[in-house]
Amino acid sequence: MHVLEAIEVSKVYAIGDRRIPVVDRVSLSVLAGECLVVAGSSGSGKTTLLSLLSGLDKPTSGRVRVLEKDITDMGEDELAPLRNEGIGFVFQSFHLIPSLTALENVMFPAELKGDLAAHTKAQSLLRRVGLTDRGGNFPHQLSGGEKQRVAICRALINDPAIVFADEPTGNLDSSNGEAILSLLLELHRERQTTLVIVTHNAEIAGLADRVITLQDGKIALERQHAP
Amino acid sequence: MLRRRFIVRQITGAPRQCAVFVLCVALSIVSLVALGGFSESVNRSVLRDARALHAGDIILHSHSEFSPGLMRAVTELTRGGRVEAARVWEFYSVVRGEGESAFLLANIKVVERGYPFYGTVALASGRPFAQVLVPGTAVVARGLLDRLHLHVGDRLHIGRATPVIVDVVLHEPDRPVRFFSLGPRVFLPAADLAALDLVRPGSRVEYSMLLAVREGGDIDEIAARVRSQSRPEQERVETYRTAASGVKRFLDNFLFFLELLGIFTLLLAGIAMQSVLTAFLREQERTVGIMKALGATHRRIIGHYLVVVGVLGLAGTLLGIGSSVAAQAVLANLFQGVLPPDIQFRVSGGNVLEGLALGMLVVTLFTFLPLTRLRNVKPNSILGKEEASVRRGMPYALVVSTPFFLFVGFILWRIKDLRLSTYFILGAVLLVLATAMAAEATLFVLKRGRARSFICRQALRGLFRPGNATRPIVVTLGASLALLFAIYLTEQNLDASFVRSYPPDLPNLFFLDIQPSQKAEFGTVLGFPTEYYPVVRGRVAAINGRPVDPARERRRIGDNLGREFNLTYRDRLLDDEAIIRGKSLYAPPTDGAQVSVLDDVLKMADISPGDVITFNIQGAPVDARVTSIRTRTQKGIRPFFYFVFPPDVLKDAPQTLFAAARVERARVSAVEAGIVSRFPNVSVIDVTETIAIFAGVLRRLSAIVRFFTLFSVCAGVLLIISSIFATRLARIQETVYFKVLGARRRIVLEVFALENVILGLISGGLALLTSQAISWVISTQVFGIPYRLFPVASLLLAASTALLVVTVGVLASVSILNQKPVAFLRRRADE
Repeated sequence: MHVLEAIEVSKVYAIGDRRIPVVDRVSLSVLAGECLVVAGSSGSGKTTLLSLLSGLDKPTSGRVRVLEKDITDMGEDELAPLRNEGIGFVFQSFHLIPSLTALENVMFPAELKGDLAAHTKAQSLLRRVGLTDRGGNFPHQLSGGEKQRVAICRALINDPAIVFADEPTGNLDSSNGEAILSLLLELHRERQTTLVIVTHNAEIAGLADRVITLQDGKIALERQHAP
Repeated sequence: MLRRRFIVRQITGAPRQCAVFVLCVALSIVSLVALGGFSESVNRSVLRDARALHAGDIILHSHSEFSPGLMRAVTELTRGGRVEAARVWEFYSVVRGEGESAFLLANIKVVERGYPFYGTVALASGRPFAQVLVPGTAVVARGLLDRLHLHVGDRLHIGRATPVIVDVVLHEPDRPVRFFSLGPRVFLPAADLAALDLVRPGSRVEYSMLLAVREGGDIDEIAARVRSQSRPEQERVETYRTAASGVKRFLDNFLFFLELLGIFTLLLAGIAMQSVLTAFLREQERTVGIMKALGATHRRIIGHYLVVVGVLGLAGTLLGIGSSVAAQAVLANLFQGVLPPDIQFRVSGGNVLEGLALGMLVVTLFTFLPLTRLRNVKPNSILGKEEASVRRGMPYALVVSTPFFLFVGFILWRIKDLRLSTYFILGAVLLVLATAMAAEATLFVLKRGRARSFICRQALRGLFRPGNATRPIVVTLGASLALLFAIYLTEQNLDASFVRSYPPDLPNLFFLDIQPSQKAEFGTVLGFPTEYYPVVRGRVAAINGRPVDPARERRRIGDNLGREFNLTYRDRLLDDEAIIRGKSLYAPPTDGAQVSVLDDVLKMADISPGDVITFNIQGAPVDARVTSIRTRTQKGIRPFFYFVFPPDVLKDAPQTLFAAARVERARVSAVEAGIVSRFPNVSVIDVTETIAIFAGVLRRLSAIVRFFTLFSVCAGVLLIISSIFATRLARIQETVYFKVLGARRRIVLEVFALENVILGLISGGLALLTSQAISWVISTQVFGIPYRLFPVASLLLAASTALLVVTVGVLASVSILNQKPVAFLRRRADE
């Protein structure tokens, strides 16, 4: 089943009277449980494509379908349940809520959903990633690697069908980065979650089921790796 | 639970911004709640006993002798044992001590036995008033003894009588407030009225009669019976429940004016509140973006921040209510000596509830826009993508204009008068808009300026730092200071024109109640020619056949047609008059009377040439056609009359004469003595002395008004503090970069200080210009006096503003200046 489809999506930014196409008629689809890497150099349109696929932004043209729903014209409030339960996000800059502890950050999406077991689930996830003792700390009290692990827990607490990770190791040193990546892939395999990773790191690309390389907003290369 | 913790931590995570917001809320309501409590306390303590306030159950009032029909009705009631009656005569007259040459204008009150039926006239000796005030005696105010150097036991010359001063009055039940009086009080018994020889036809006397209804009697029924026999156009019959006390009217009017100031403060504090919240929410945009990315709906987010704002708003409201108690104490202090000393000020439950409602309403009004803008925060903003621009159009216009219309509704609710509300809104909007436009123009010029010095260039750039609330600061401070400066400048101009140097061409002695038969001899005694103005007392009964309702008129704020007027007659315009409508003062003689109307009357009624006004002139109706509308070409203390008739209409009516003369200061006492000793019925008013009394009152009133205006200045100060906190990160960044690049701490301090100096000078300068314009209008157009700029004082005011802003700005920036570069840079790397 295709959990994610992009049909001829484009994103054009207008700056003054100039029109700059950041994503140019990209079409792709992602199967359930697949690990897709969107690679490309800086400025190739990777993050923009991710924001279009995840519904964080709207395409200038084309259609986007997530979990068999056309989200192209959906309003913010219509997208909210999808973002809450269907999708998880892991960002390069972590984007934890600064006034919530690690545990509370993880709980947050489940609380939004009204899940009474949010606390238990959050604790369990933090245990899984080795942060049991850090649950009461605020983001500014955590290291980069710890923050990213919290972000991963947050992304998974509602058992989403798809997890989008935008340069998840971009702000980490190599040792932490490797650890985070391993964790992501491990959890992806455990939960059979579809994983879409945006990165310019070739090593990460080598670990995916499929790699799409963007160049100047277009798909320049697509490689399928052997299972 | 998580939600609650989240809210608490968002508040505690931005303590300074939240504190400033709370203070803004408190400031917006403190003056209105204090006024409400003060007004309630005064009403409760001073005006609570309406019977004592009027000294009777039924009060009859007239400016002339009571009509025979009314007197018959009262006599029947007294003979039937249903009421007791006591007459009261009140007027001004010049008094002096026996053998003394010093004169004093005194407020004479002649009373019959029985006065006051309710309340007590408190005397220094502690003895009962009725026992003390017997024929041949007088009870006087302390001020009279002091000014005439007299003592209890001395004789007092009043008219043709010389009663003995037997006691000192401390308090009168029907005059609990002594705010403004032309002279100290003198009580005399009614038995001596004839001996005084001061009450003559046409004399300016307030005639009253108090009725005390015997127990079990129906006050309203008796009042109605008396009223049915009265002449309603010249006699008023009211009960203690319906009578409007002059004291209450004055306090109501003055407190109403202060309420307007309170609403103006609310507006400015509201602007500050909105700016503070905008800055706070701007810092929350990343959090909001994350929440939306995680699936929070807009409704959920708005609900979250509504709770944050609600908690802060409640804290501010409670602080405002608490502060209003302190403000009431200050207000009581400012009114000291005017209100009775035993008055008790407290905050009632009703006050508290009103304060709570007001606080929540204010918070709703001024947080509406910033909260609505949260909708514009897109989740992809956390990815650093270009934010969606705000969609303009009808919905946006509706959102932006909603708070404005709600505010207009709020003003209408508080002021309760459509015309005044419109004037107030227009005035406030005009002041804020004028300041905003002037600020915009100034900043436009500054932005394009090329400063040579590095520090000056950096300071100017700082004014335009993203997030800096430069414009709201200039508008708030500028508008509030403009009001404060304008009050000061107007007071100074009035002082200079009237108190310190009375204009040399204006009369300084007024002579009232000259009998026509005394005119020739008066002129001889005066010793120099002067102009005499005949005065006939009358009322406006109807305009074009539509009766004037005196009771309704008296409820208007300002002058009204319900009162008695001084009518006059002559066949020419005065030197300072001009006709603005109509061909000439009067038309060619026709059947029927004519009248010329002063343009001031048009503020009370819509009157045009050709209209017919029905006058009640001492019981006789006179229909007069309006032939012209006049205006005064020079305002100031000169005689003027609202209604002027041709001589043939009024020359035979009962009248007195009024004269005004310019006398050298050194000769004033001699002239007064000569006139008063020969004509004791003539009241002599030394205008310069009266103006000095007026100036004292004005100073006291100004002090109270300035106290309230200071609240709005505080709103501007809070805005400065908030703006610095809002741009804290950018300022820290600048500080760190300056230090990293080799600048000393002193340089950074100079840049920040200069930025605030410029801000203060712009605010103070604009405030000065605006206040000069306002003060010029009031001085020249309302008071008709020449205008002075007071340049030294003006420059000092502007400089003080700059000093205030720089002090507040630098103090709020101290922690920023102490930032260590390495700590900041490490934090940025982590982010």
